[in-house]
Amino acid sequence: MNYMPGTASLLEDIDKKHLVLLRDGRTLIGILRSIDQFANLVLHQTVERIHVGKKFGDIPRGIFIVRGENVVLLGEVDLDKEYDQILQRVSIEQILEEQRLEQQAKQESERLKLQAVKERGLSMPKADALDDF
Amino acid sequence: MFRFQSLDDDCTLEEEEEEEGLVEEEDEIDQFNDDTFGAGAIDDDWQEEHARLAELDERVRDGSAGSDASCTALPPPPSAKPPPGLEESRGEDLVESLARLILGSDPAIAGVSASGPDRSQFGPMPQTQAAPSTHAVGAPSLLSYQQHQHLLHQGTPSLPQVNSHSIWENSMGFGPVGVNPGLASHMKDSPLLSIIKEVGLPKRPPPVRSEDGRDLSERVPPPRSSSPVIGSPPVRAVPIGTPPKQPMSHALNQIHCPTVHVRAPVQHRFPSPFPERLSPNTILNIANSPLCRPPFPAGVLSQIQQAQLLNSQVRPFPRGSPAPPLLPGGAGFRPFFGQPPPRVGPHGPPPNSIRHNTTHLHPQHRRMLTQRMQNRGDHGGRGCDRRSRDPYSNLMTQREKEWVARIQMMQLQSTDPYLDDYYYQNYYEKMEKRQERDRDSSRKEHTTKLITPQVAKLEHTYRPVQFAGSLGKLTVSSVNNPRKMIDAVMTSRTDDEEKREKQVWNKRRQILYTVEKMYSLLLEVQDFEKKFLQTPEEERDALLEQHKNNTLQLYNSIREKEWDDRVSDEQCLMIMSVRKGKGLIARLLPFLPPPQAAAVVMGVARNIPALAKKDKQDQVLCCLVDPVAVVIQSMSSSALTDLLQELQGSEGQLPRVLQNKFGVTLLYLILSEGERMQSSDPNCQLMDDNRWTELVFSVTRELLKVPSSSLSPPLFTPPNLLSLFSRYVDRQRLELLQEKLQVNALSR
Repeated sequence: MNYMPGTASLLEDIDKKHLVLLRDGRTLIGILRSIDQFANLVLHQTVERIHVGKKFGDIPRGIFIVRGENVVLLGEVDLDKEYDQILQRVSIEQILEEQRLEQQAKQESERLKLQAVKERGLSMPKADALDDF
Repeated sequence: MFRFQSLDDDCTLEEEEEEEGLVEEEDEIDQFNDDTFGAGAIDDDWQEEHARLAELDERVRDGSAGSDASCTALPPPPSAKPPPGLEESRGEDLVESLARLILGSDPAIAGVSASGPDRSQFGPMPQTQAAPSTHAVGAPSLLSYQQHQHLLHQGTPSLPQVNSHSIWENSMGFGPVGVNPGLASHMKDSPLLSIIKEVGLPKRPPPVRSEDGRDLSERVPPPRSSSPVIGSPPVRAVPIGTPPKQPMSHALNQIHCPTVHVRAPVQHRFPSPFPERLSPNTILNIANSPLCRPPFPAGVLSQIQQAQLLNSQVRPFPRGSPAPPLLPGGAGFRPFFGQPPPRVGPHGPPPNSIRHNTTHLHPQHRRMLTQRMQNRGDHGGRGCDRRSRDPYSNLMTQREKEWVARIQMMQLQSTDPYLDDYYYQNYYEKMEKRQERDRDSSRKEHTTKLITPQVAKLEHTYRPVQFAGSLGKLTVSSVNNPRKMIDAVMTSRTDDEEKREKQVWNKRRQILYTVEKMYSLLLEVQDFEKKFLQTPEEERDALLEQHKNNTLQLYNSIREKEWDDRVSDEQCLMIMSVRKGKGLIARLLPFLPPPQAAAVVMGVARNIPALAKKDKQDQVLCCLVDPVAVVIQSMSSSALTDLLQELQGSEGQLPRVLQNKFGVTLLYLILSEGERMQSSDPNCQLMDDNRWTELVFSVTRELLKVPSSSLSPPLFTPPNLLSLFSRYVDRQRLELLQEKLQVNALSR
């Protein structure tokens, strides 16, 4: 049923599995159950997927209600293609560990950068001044 | 967001308020709100209902054997764990027993539901305020699907006790999974059926009035106006999404009776001719009943299977009914087609059609979409099986979807599509033209037409705010009405006028220039004396020479070209027309040698009327009096006579002269000088010449003739005038003259 031909609308996407990228960087995968005019989403059987390198881990989250403004993008997941991917699935603990390591490495590099910049007499903007992720 | 499950206490209130607020906005729904306007309001009192049910409950409780409905293998309840804690509701026993009754006695359901009432699993599942949740098996729509599954598993729903209406209504209410018809058909022997009949079949659940809080009817959005705009700006134009009003289908008419219009429906409201509370299912079933019956009695069917069945029954319907009446009613129908086409896979491609509330599309666009959809329809419905097994589908009801779609559509409305979506319009136009051109390129050439906006250009003249009696205008301006800072008025002059004006200005400039030059000479002449004293002996001669030259030059500039002793009238007038010029002459006179000075004076006398006219504004002619007097006194008698003659000049000059102060003064001066001459020197030649006498006579005549008013008072009256006159006039006249002169003198 074509709800609004010629337009972009989420109504066609209801009850389909979606991948939603949020502004804080999280990736949620869930079945889109309900929407409203602000594109607030209700995701069912949601899973938060954390990607580190080629590995990923899923954390089941249940039902998510996402405020529309926090959505960067979303797209329907092709259920056929979902499982044949290069990425390797690992356990939650493992992926969290990997994420922590990655975060650490990033912070370290950031710190070095900042130091180098400071040595040269410049200043870098603080992270909280930058928006989102 | 639509609440299909409220797990939070906090949102409840808000939703309630919103609900109730929305109810007020509703107009069409109220038509079918039997509770408020129909039988529900008049006849049925929910409190009575409740009382009746309470009685019933007691009977039921005694009678019920706690039969457990058992549920067949249904998909396991979803992962969501029931929240901890069970909230005991007041009439839970009643609810439970009723549920049991229904579940037990209804053969359709009995086989379906699971065994054992297990309340513990139930309590938290519905809203935390369990009470008015209609967990009746007959009200699957109001339950979340999940809850429904539990219900069937355990078989003990907690029915609402307070809002008893809701039970029965919602039992007939919608749900994509319809147990309803089954229920309806098999509840004939139920004592509850009477209540159902009373209450009526398709009923809208009333707004939440329960004391304990939600009933599950909150899952269904409360009746709203078809325009779901809350807090958004009013719509002026007819929304492009408005489907045309169409006559409702016959079948649908049977369902509802258009009763009361609470509010005049605004034309932009999406007309929803029948309560969308009704499950499309229900409607279809009712409508379908004449067409086809379920091929089997309500047997042991899973909910879903039944739903599937019903949905499949949907299919034949659209083909059976005429298309147009389907439309507005089709608003309810069609989504149904749209939703479960996946389920209906085996039955053929769904009839994809463009909704009629999408009139905002460019016709070309619409055509393309229809084509596309047709193509797609041929190979569609692939993932249907998978979707058909999803127990959580259609949590968002059709009505809710339409609500969102409507909002989105409203955002597309435009009174000026060219302004709002220029590229879209142009693109499709070009496409159209291209296609047309391709099609009939042989015939004619289509030239692109320039479409200019037809909006009448409004003249916005800015009238600055002015208060009466205030000076100027208020300094209030904005970007839209910039204030006129300067009232600059353009005056356009023709070429001739401009030329004339230019000439005048040029002449004046010329005069001034001449005067200036003469002045510079004059100043040198004036300073001669000083200079002379300062310069040493040797150079004095040179200086003297120079001085002479200067004076000569000065005189030359005003004298008549050919005559030496006559001042050019033209030049004189020119110079004297300017105030500065008059001053110039006045200063010049003393420096001129007597004959030249006399000539100047004569020239002045000659032109007194003209000079007087020009002098009207400045009134500085009288500055000439002193130097002129000096000149006169040094004049010879003949010169004097000449002067007098000049003064009299042409006919009619004298009166004019007399009108002017300077003229009169000059005249008196002359006369006085003459008298002095005569009296002082008996041998004066004045009398020899008759002219003098004649002139004096004419003067006296004139003086007598002229009325006093037009006789301008002179600067001073020489005393010897009378003696002069006495020589020429008789006593009578003399006296008269005397009078006049005295009066004149006094009137100064």
